[in-house]
Formats: sequence, C-alpha cells, structure tokens
Amino acid sequence: MPKILIPTPLRQFADKKDAVEVAGVTVGEALSALTAAHPDMKKNLFTDEGKLRSFVNVYVNDEDIRFLEKDKTAVAAGDTISIVPSIAGGK
Amino acid sequence: MINIDQEAWDLMVAHAQKTYPYECCGAMLGPIDGDVKTVRIALPLENAYPGAQRERYELRPEDLLFAEKEARKNGMDLIGIFHSHPDCDAYFSKTDLENSCPWYSFVVLSIQKGQFHHANSWLPNMDQTEAAKEELQHPNA
Repeated sequence: MPKILIPTPLRQFADKKDAVEVAGVTVGEALSALTAAHPDMKKNLFTDEGKLRSFVNVYVNDEDIRFLEKDKTAVAAGDTISIVPSIAGGK
Repeated sequence: MINIDQEAWDLMVAHAQKTYPYECCGAMLGPIDGDVKTVRIALPLENAYPGAQRERYELRPEDLLFAEKEARKNGMDLIGIFHSHPDCDAYFSKTDLENSCPWYSFVVLSIQKGQFHHANSWLPNMDQTEAAKEELQHPNA
C-alpha cells in the first residue's frame, strides 16, 4: 500500500500519526481512502465541491502530480505521497 | 505561542538583511509542545517569485517538501514560514493572506533601511480571509 506523509498540523486529524498507509492504485483513490478513514482531514484538503484546495500540492515520491497524471497518477506499495502547500505573498 | 531560538533567529535576520531591498523567505523547524512552538532551525529558501521581488515572494513547493523532509530527519516539525517586508511594517498583507496556508505560522520581519526593525507572527484562517496575530518571542523582542 502507498504511504501518505501527514504534515504536522494535520496529524491531529489522523490519530496523531505522521504517516498513514492507505489502499488505492491512484493518488485520487489514496486521498479518498485517507479522508474516509479520517473525515476531519477532508476540509483541510478539499473544498466543499470536492476539489483539492488551491494551496494543496501533492507529490508522489519527488514528483508533482500536476506534471504526472494528476489524481489519476498511479501509486503502488513503496510509493510515498506528500502533501505540500503552495505559499507566496508580499507587502 | 511561537518562540524562536537565538541561532535560528540570527539566521532569519541575517537572511532578511542580506536580501534587502528584496523580500526573503524560508522555513522554520522545531518541536511543537501543545500550544508552544519552538523554532530551533531556520532554513533560508530562495525567493522564486518571477517578478518584482521587492514586493513579492514565492516558495517553490519542492523547497517546502525539502524543508518537511529536513524536519522529519531531525525529529522536528515544520512550524512555519518566514518572509521579510522591506521598508514597511510586519503586517500580514492581502497578498500574504490570499497566498498563505492555514496550517502554519507566518513570521514577517520588517526590514527598514536594511536593518531589522520588528517582527510579527500570523495564523491565517481556513478560508484565508483573515489572520490572527500569534504571540511571538524572539531574542530582539
């Protein structure tokens, strides 16, 4: 099963775990399995319309899924999924 | 409450003053114990904004992924992000808010005429519509 690394602020919604192994053969399925097991995680990652929040990027190993096949990107045992926010700003 | 250790603080201020008059950015790592976050490591990161960096900063997600990995490697947490405001106050601007993330602390350093002036820490809400001021302790406070 692929492993999802949980960012520190979201661990409170995942039984304080820093990583969760989930079922799924695509990134979309893996994230669905994560939010099914830990429903409070959902509002942090997805909008009410079910889309990934604008600041949420997802990486499989070291690759941004936007440059792969987005939520259809295949994952397998041994793959690590990371959730990384987009951050910018200015005065 | 966020408390920044001397060594990490010195690195943050040095990075902000060195990049003046442009905005700097970086990540803050350390332990979180209940409501108390202690920054032990500051990781200066490159401002990747493609335009006028006097007024904007942008972190590459892959740099943030690196920071997250560094935190895990050191048994720490990614506590937040710091950036500088050259020649203006350490408020959390509309641009900061709209491009932030509600998961982290955002420390803003005001650099006036090339020198550190003051700093604030901010906690954006989930919809990125407002940010609450967080109690900040640092060696220059």
